[in-house]
Amino acid sequence: MVAMAITAFLAGAQPAAARGRVTVGVTETIASYDPYADSVSLAYSIWCQVLGCLGVYDYSKADYVGMLAESWEVDKANPTIWTFHLRHGLKRQNDGKELTADDVVFSFHRINSDPQSQQKQNVAPVKEMTAVDKYTVRVVTKAPTATLLEYLFDRFIITGKDLYEKYGARDADRKYLWGWGPYKLKELAIGQRIVLEKDPTNPDAKPENPDTLIFTIMREPEQRVTALLNNEIQIAEFIPPQLAQRVRESKSAKIAEVSSVEIMFLAMSPKYKPWDNLKLRQAVCYAIDRDSIIKNILGGEADRLDGPIGPVQYGYDPAYAKRSLFIPYDPAKAKELVKESGYKGEPVDLYTPVGRYIDDKEVTQAMIPMLNAVGINARLRTPEWATLWSDVQKGKTPFYYMGRGSVVDPSPALWQYFETGGSPRIGISDPGIDKALAAESVDFDPASRKKRLNLAFKAIEDAAPACFMWGHHLLHGISNSIEFKPDAGGRIFGTQITVKQ
Amino acid sequence: MVGYLLRRAIGTIPVILLISLLVFLLIHAAPGDPADLLLSDQATPQDVAEARHRWGLDQPLYVQYLRFLVNVLKGDFGTSFRYSDPVITVIGERLPATIELAVVSLLIAVALGLPLGVWAGAKPNSWADNLGSFFGFFGISMPNFWFGIMLILVVAGYLNWLPSSGRSTYGIARGSETGFYITASLLAGNFAAAWDGVRHIILPAIALGTNMMGIIMRVTRSAVLEVMHEDFVRTARAKGVPERAVLWRHVLRNALVPVITVGGLELGTLLSGSIIVETVFAWPGSGSLLISAIESRDYPLITGTVIIYTLAFVAINFMIDILYGFVDPRIRFEK
Amino acid sequence: MRATRWRVIRPLLKPKIVVGAGIVLILIVAGALAPWIAPYDPNAQDLALALKPPQWLFGAHVLGTDAVGRDILSRLFYGARVSLIIAVTVVLISGVVGVGLGAISGYFAGLVDFVIQKFVEVIWAFPPLLLAIAIMAFLGQGLGNLILALVMQRWISYCRVARGQALSMRSREFVEAARALGASDARIVVRHVVPNLFQSAVVIGTFAMASAIISEAALSFLGLGVPPEIPTWGSMLADGRTYISTSWWLALFPGLCIFFTVLGINLLGDGLRDLLDPRLKRSGSGIG
Repeated sequence: MVAMAITAFLAGAQPAAARGRVTVGVTETIASYDPYADSVSLAYSIWCQVLGCLGVYDYSKADYVGMLAESWEVDKANPTIWTFHLRHGLKRQNDGKELTADDVVFSFHRINSDPQSQQKQNVAPVKEMTAVDKYTVRVVTKAPTATLLEYLFDRFIITGKDLYEKYGARDADRKYLWGWGPYKLKELAIGQRIVLEKDPTNPDAKPENPDTLIFTIMREPEQRVTALLNNEIQIAEFIPPQLAQRVRESKSAKIAEVSSVEIMFLAMSPKYKPWDNLKLRQAVCYAIDRDSIIKNILGGEADRLDGPIGPVQYGYDPAYAKRSLFIPYDPAKAKELVKESGYKGEPVDLYTPVGRYIDDKEVTQAMIPMLNAVGINARLRTPEWATLWSDVQKGKTPFYYMGRGSVVDPSPALWQYFETGGSPRIGISDPGIDKALAAESVDFDPASRKKRLNLAFKAIEDAAPACFMWGHHLLHGISNSIEFKPDAGGRIFGTQITVKQ
Repeated sequence: MVGYLLRRAIGTIPVILLISLLVFLLIHAAPGDPADLLLSDQATPQDVAEARHRWGLDQPLYVQYLRFLVNVLKGDFGTSFRYSDPVITVIGERLPATIELAVVSLLIAVALGLPLGVWAGAKPNSWADNLGSFFGFFGISMPNFWFGIMLILVVAGYLNWLPSSGRSTYGIARGSETGFYITASLLAGNFAAAWDGVRHIILPAIALGTNMMGIIMRVTRSAVLEVMHEDFVRTARAKGVPERAVLWRHVLRNALVPVITVGGLELGTLLSGSIIVETVFAWPGSGSLLISAIESRDYPLITGTVIIYTLAFVAINFMIDILYGFVDPRIRFEK
Repeated sequence: MRATRWRVIRPLLKPKIVVGAGIVLILIVAGALAPWIAPYDPNAQDLALALKPPQWLFGAHVLGTDAVGRDILSRLFYGARVSLIIAVTVVLISGVVGVGLGAISGYFAGLVDFVIQKFVEVIWAFPPLLLAIAIMAFLGQGLGNLILALVMQRWISYCRVARGQALSMRSREFVEAARALGASDARIVVRHVVPNLFQSAVVIGTFAMASAIISEAALSFLGLGVPPEIPTWGSMLADGRTYISTSWWLALFPGLCIFFTVLGINLLGDGLRDLLDPRLKRSGSGIG
């Protein structure tokens, strides 16, 4: 009897991974049926493959590719005018209605008018969108914006105008989330899981892609790893370096590594003493032994940033890193700078989130003795995220460790943090930075823009409002029963997953 | 009796009001702006201001509180900032999971604690007593979140016997089981689903129920010890009633009163313990909902959940009082 | 002479009390002597020695190191210190506040009693952890804030008992006599009501200590404890959470410390209650 019970137990413990079903353990969750009400990357990931985005950034090609749009161009005479050409004959799930320019224009208006919308910033540079004909959309920007695709692609989600007008927002979102993507939304259990089902009639959906794709929320890293090794899930997002070994050693799964597009940095706000002192800020950058932290705490799973961006980002120039402009670990120089700055030894607090970024508390913990060693009397503070983020947003935090995600084209991020009046988060106002950023954002020629970007990087590093630390390696646990190569954006598209056998 | 209970019921109303005021003040005073937390990274100051206006946060505090009270009397607990759904709906979807967890934990606690306590109390200083007391002290000394983590590590991780988190396996559960998964499945005759639910609930229920088990064990033991020396026990034995019946029918019934009292008092601890256990096991109940609501400063959701927990607490104590009256008739006629 | 001394000591020698008191004593010694017996500074980092497993008796780091190379054993000693400070302070403050308010409430009765008791009911009906979470979120990290948050829930038990005693004292003869002699209310409360509460207070106190230690751990676990430069068992547990399957020593040892300390306090409290509460004396006491 007991033996039978135990066998039954054990048999149930490994749910036979149903053929063609792939479950992903994720750390974020969608909070609403309204596709415009979330701004976490998981939401974009899901809605892009269910409803459809104009286009996405292809990391392997290092360029933008169209999804619902097949081509686009900027008017040379008037660079505020962009024209997008939609793919013909795209049939919607369930009712087969074709995608038209009207749907795109409608979506633009909905983003701006929906009270729940959290995606306005994605269309912020756009002044208006009009439907030129059935398959052509004209987009007019407020000012010439070379980086428009960084805003729109992967972010601008298209929903059907007719369904919205027929059923109203509430029902359209809850019952008629039909789109032009390769996966249909089967179930959305808010805060628990999202279930997608492949639409075999969609040209992008291939037979080897999973029939069912489930995203289930698992916030604890240990949990995700255990579930992966138990075959409860087939993809485990964001495995911290210390657990990677477990997955590597297992026979049923492996680690797929990709460099993240998130930049980790230390921010110092010149609005607060003693951070109004340039030399002190520079001293911090020289004081941190990033290589040691990367090696000993992050297990080598991060790339040191020599400058505001790394090789994964647009505009990266390896020559820049080699020049003497980059800031090495030099505690002697840091000590000197501290002395020259006239810093009196007053305590300064370094704020860090906990559990938000990979090993955030551990790496900042390691920074404290490094700062102390050069004469900066630093203490670590770990407020809860709500308090910290709110204060950072309002510009109330003088010295903190943070990450800026989704940096492919660095321009929007640099504007946000370092431009005068960008956002209160650091509050630096440096005319050199402003001039350089203004110059790069209106330059439509890729080669010359890249040069200007690097000039902007230099201006930023000279003013030292931030010390750039590293970009993490995103470690995903992948079951051996599937093939999936994650990209730096951390998106998980069913069309990129191949179920073996 | 009815009058007494009615007066008690009415007496709880000002308490609940005061609690709602306390919660309201506390969360509004806490640092952290919901608009900053819930809107995207790149939201503009206009977006933030517009959201605050939509949520009524730009009004003075007393206006907000009064509006909240008026709505509550209409049965409307407000709309969650994060989920844009009525708070009652959001909580209602998650509450059954917590209730199921609490009930199963309680069952485990009673099923283990009560018999252990009875055997220990019946034969003090015997091996039964020592064994039982071991469990008892273990239960009351073990921090439940640590125990939960160890359970996941060993039982789910190393031994692979049980799933590590969540409430159900997709594919076995039909649709979103926002309700009482195990109970509904049993009633529908879907044993596979019920079994799936049981497999998921065991670890969190053990983690949560162990503390209660220890308490019940200890209290039962001391209550039984007291009762064993009473006259009526001696009389029963003299009359030739078998020892087992003496123990389980006569002694236990009289020992139940303090057990129920303490059990009722500790239910509050069980409810708040469920908050942490749910977080550790990713159990989709109202406890983990509350934690994430606090993290995102979703004021209406926080207030609503706390009030519901308090109401539950007060209601449980109320029922204990009634139960008390039945179990011990002496109390019924006390003032 | 010897016989009477033996009579006092003998009841104290029950295994429960001995084991419990022993554990508590170890806690006190470890905490008090931490600066002298800890092999390392609890905050001294050595990145090259991060995550070293326990080397037991013959190694430099007996119980291993954590993610930034700090010695676990030393941190346990200092953690004992903090747990001790928190537990004792919380119990003392809530005891004073609780007994004070309870005595006042019971002695004066009437409106004073009503108001204080309503306050007690409100706090009591509040789910315990939530109150602490709310206070910590509001006030931020800090040892003082943590102690305040922990006291807020615990003074109620003292209050109840004190009130009961005071109520029953109110009408006793010696109180009336004292009043007739011109003794002030305050004096009566302090001289007569409070000393009778001593026994209950001790018993309540030990259990309150145990729960304070667990609550601190729970709050630290949720990220709402003391700032990081103060090592506590709870924050060590929280830190070790993402290292459990690979570096088990980070979470296991602080967890064991919490468990055994709480166990010791509970045993001691239970044993003391057996001793001090004559009603239960004849019921024997299980383990010992």
